[in-house]
Amino acid sequence: MELETLKTLWQEQETPPMAAGSHEELLALLQKRSIGPIARMRRNLRKEVIVMAISYGFCIIFYLLAFNGDMANVAWLFVGLLLFFYVYYHRKNQLLKKMQCVGCEVRSNLAGQLKTLQKYLRFYFWSSTVIVPLSLFVAFEIAFHSRTKPVSSLWLMVTLLCALTVGCTIAVYFLNRWYIHKLYGRHLRKLQELLQEMDEV
Amino acid sequence: MNLQDDFIRLVNDNRGILYKICRMYGDTEPDRQDLFQEIVIQLWRSYPSFRGDAKFSTWLYRIALNTAISDLRRQRRHLLTIDPGDLPTQLQDIQYSTEKEEQLRSLYAAINRLTEVEKALTMLYLEDKSYTEMEEILGIPQNNLRVKMNRIKEKLRKMTKEAVYGVGNA
Repeated sequence: MELETLKTLWQEQETPPMAAGSHEELLALLQKRSIGPIARMRRNLRKEVIVMAISYGFCIIFYLLAFNGDMANVAWLFVGLLLFFYVYYHRKNQLLKKMQCVGCEVRSNLAGQLKTLQKYLRFYFWSSTVIVPLSLFVAFEIAFHSRTKPVSSLWLMVTLLCALTVGCTIAVYFLNRWYIHKLYGRHLRKLQELLQEMDEV
Repeated sequence: MNLQDDFIRLVNDNRGILYKICRMYGDTEPDRQDLFQEIVIQLWRSYPSFRGDAKFSTWLYRIALNTAISDLRRQRRHLLTIDPGDLPTQLQDIQYSTEKEEQLRSLYAAINRLTEVEKALTMLYLEDKSYTEMEEILGIPQNNLRVKMNRIKEKLRKMTKEAVYGVGNA
């Protein structure tokens, strides 16, 4: 069967009358949220931000008010971490916004998605690796300031902290690599395959 | 007429195109409904910024195909053989002669076995789009489009023959 013959058949095919839906159904559709992958990633990000803001908010207030203000430094450390997370989530959100251009040519949209997704994953990977030594440092500071007895050997404590930091960072580095590959590996491969197909002659 | 009413009128005027894209890229009826919903939402979000720089149909095809092709969550079921009788029953609502219906079923069955990019090209070809318009929508140079289209025609010719005459007799 020649494609030219099928063209006529294709163009003559009738659309079922209710294919688009009534005016009211379409109006209701416009109020719904996108179920696309990028929209879902942005919604998940917003939920993460809320959880972080609430939990860190509590910690900040607790350390400011408890212990007669003696642990206020710890509260400021949490404020510092919160600022780090603000920058982290802001950057992630910016990248997600840029990831899609549905009004662009299909090839440009796919190329843009691939490039931005790679940037997004690199940022995610390095931020979630760097947060490990940062968090350990904060934990050490909290423990150091809340001790009731004097420290027998500060150098031993610092050595142990360094060993723990290096060990945990290396472990998290490999865990992140595996986790990102598990979550996004297929997505990345599919985008690369689509672009390759579009570019090959 | 406000923006929403204007937009809904445009969706209804072009529902044939949206229906065909959803049929092409949606494996099951729920998939097609989800895809239709997502395409309409993306069209609505982009509508206020549509300034008429491109033709309306070019803009519509870009958004619909970008939405359909970018939906990478879907597990593509690459069926090596498909029984045209397994196609969904919407076609049965359309009043066609048996022969035409059979040909349309074979066509959809064959298209279902193409890749996402090949489907987009086939769709635009069957809709009688020029290679210039196809280039504007897909972003693939015209020379590449012609070569790809020739390959797709050969593929579809083989697949539709197999469907009519059986595998091995193409």
